[in-house]
Amino acid sequence: MADKPVWEQIGAGFVQLYYQQFDTDRTKLGDLYTDASCLTWEGAGYQGKEAIMGKLSSLPFQSIQHIITAQDHQPTPDNCVMSMVMGQLKADQDQVMGFQQVFLLKNIDNKWICANDMFRLALHNFGA
Amino acid sequence: MGDKPIWEQIGSSFVQHYYQLFDTDRTQLGAIYIDASCLTWEGQQFQGKAAIVEKLSSLPFTKIAHSITAQDHQPTPDSCILSMVVGQLKADEDPIMGFHQSFILKNINDAWVCTNDMFRLALHNFG
Repeated sequence: MADKPVWEQIGAGFVQLYYQQFDTDRTKLGDLYTDASCLTWEGAGYQGKEAIMGKLSSLPFQSIQHIITAQDHQPTPDNCVMSMVMGQLKADQDQVMGFQQVFLLKNIDNKWICANDMFRLALHNFGA
Repeated sequence: MGDKPIWEQIGSSFVQHYYQLFDTDRTQLGAIYIDASCLTWEGQQFQGKAAIVEKLSSLPFTKIAHSITAQDHQPTPDSCILSMVVGQLKADEDPIMGFHQSFILKNINDAWVCTNDMFRLALHNFG
């Protein structure tokens, strides 16, 4: 991994940590957010660590597993890292669904945190 | 639209402008990028207005129509706007395909430009 650009290392490291933690115990994801972080989950907006954790913790499934199909990472002009993830997830006994998620990561006090987070199921992409 | 947050107004106006221009004449999209802009197109990276417009212009179809299924916009800590778009597109006579695209918009000299652009077809999401 050492020969990959640094933003790709940071982005891929975050993505791995995020989904691992989400699938193991999503109530522990709070460390990745700050009080200024924004989450848009299926079109509904949440701001701040507490509101975001309230939403993620109350999602109506017990077990979940994410699989990443593709991930892209870019450096932004303000020294952040933008990451876009496409994948599939399986919640409880539901059928496998596609999802898309975008993160903006920012370095604050020598730590990479998630400033922006947007999630959508890919259901409505099953087209003609 | 006046009661929507400003970042949503800017983001959705950009999205409308971008796809309208893309579907009409994508060789004109250069005006929305700068030399520091990054595009990742199906995992392939391009940097700078010239490289980005060359990639978009050389895509192997003559006509294309995008339709937006959902779009989300957020303000970022550095006064940019992050936009995520989910939609479908039809290129020439190919079947309709789903796509995902994300943008970061930044205000430079009183104009909103696209500094970051990521595009993926949603094909591999058919599970």
